[in-house]
Amino acid sequence: MKAISRNLNILDYAASLLIRKKYKNITVLMVFSAVIFLLSSLQLTATALRSVADDILTTVPDITVQQMSAGRQVALQADYQQAFQTIFGIREVRERVWGYYFDEKNGANYTIIGLAPESVSADVKEALAWGKLPKNSGEVVVAIPVAENMQLGQRRNFSLFRPDLSLQSFTMVGAFSQDTGILTDDMMLMSQKDAAELFAMAPGQLTDLLVDVANPGEIDTIAGKIADVLPGTRVLTKKQIQKTYDVVFSWRSGFASICLLTSLFAFIILAWDKASGFSPDEQKEMAILKVVGWQTRDIMLLRFWESGVVALVAFLGGYSLAWLHVAFFDAALLKPVMLGWSVLRPTPSLFPPFQLTDFVLIGAFAIIPYMAATIVPAWKSGMVRPDSVI
Amino acid sequence: MRKSAFIGFLLAGLLFFDLLLGLYLVERHENYKDEQDVLRLVAGELGATDLVITTEARYARHPAVSDRVVPFMDHPADIEHFPSGSFYYPGDGK
Repeated sequence: MKAISRNLNILDYAASLLIRKKYKNITVLMVFSAVIFLLSSLQLTATALRSVADDILTTVPDITVQQMSAGRQVALQADYQQAFQTIFGIREVRERVWGYYFDEKNGANYTIIGLAPESVSADVKEALAWGKLPKNSGEVVVAIPVAENMQLGQRRNFSLFRPDLSLQSFTMVGAFSQDTGILTDDMMLMSQKDAAELFAMAPGQLTDLLVDVANPGEIDTIAGKIADVLPGTRVLTKKQIQKTYDVVFSWRSGFASICLLTSLFAFIILAWDKASGFSPDEQKEMAILKVVGWQTRDIMLLRFWESGVVALVAFLGGYSLAWLHVAFFDAALLKPVMLGWSVLRPTPSLFPPFQLTDFVLIGAFAIIPYMAATIVPAWKSGMVRPDSVI
Repeated sequence: MRKSAFIGFLLAGLLFFDLLLGLYLVERHENYKDEQDVLRLVAGELGATDLVITTEARYARHPAVSDRVVPFMDHPADIEHFPSGSFYYPGDGK
């Protein structure tokens, strides 16, 4: 009880010291909070995207096969069946034609996915806001942002340019729900034949093969065998695709490195301000406290509380604002950089799960260096000889 | 009132704000769980390997199925110049 009372009294005095220099302390608090806000926003955005990828990319095909030539991806010939007959354990192979359509009218890029209608489960209809899946030639399901970007309005018929600038007509028979926007916001789904015609691909050419294997434990072995029987192919496994988003927002990415370095410099300046000691007036005040009976440990405790309150309020304030920024405003301040010069601007909702590791990491990064920087000056101010100052 | 009480109120206010935010997010996450099943279906059936975060460059739109060197191969003198590229770490290659 006595210890609590002593700490409370010292905390009262620390609060009065903070209030006495309120403008300086409010400035430090704002800068400190802004640095923590920036770091936390970046960390929470990365966590949110990694978490979405971990949750939903669990069902991507086990193996994706692409053809490479001279270091670039090129069309794959659809004569793989004979080669695959020698590989046991393949459950299903689906052919796919996909690519990007550049809309010259407004500069947007759309992702065109072409699959044989019979190879798409009827359950995918659940992903549509309205309409049906494409079954016949010329039918297409379009993402709502794409339809808005093309200014389709109430129209259902539109045309896209083939590479030779001839027009190919389509009828919009459905729209992807905005709930699936994180995967479909720039997408047009059509039949494989229509997509091949749109991209002017020669008969029998594909973009990639989606392979599912019977035993998940054999994915790597079968991927190796596919690479052997189809020379010059790049074979991606589900594990590699899922791993992409584990590393994609690493601290080594350019933007994150800049944020980290900026924050580090800001912390160094804050710590330097603390470590550079106290003004003659402050030293005088400490000397007077020692004259009236304060011990060195009391003065160190006073300095601990003074820095601790600033660090804790800045951490909680900055971290809370970062949650508000990411969860309510979908990281609106980071989005312009993420979207870059995208004409079609997807608006993924971010749901960062609370992770203790994030909390501890940011807390340790914010509080420990600041507190550590106060130890030496606190000890120095505690050791001051009253007669040398007053 | 003690001056330390002011600090206590400030911290309690921040924690209360966090609590409200947490409760809201828990509710929002419950709704999101329902959407996950449909998203998994789309990822599996359409082979959607990547998240639509940006559409400005094909390697930023589909990082999982693009080459590490693709930002530099569109043009002989091309260098990586899209802002979204600064978010991405190329990983350990494939």
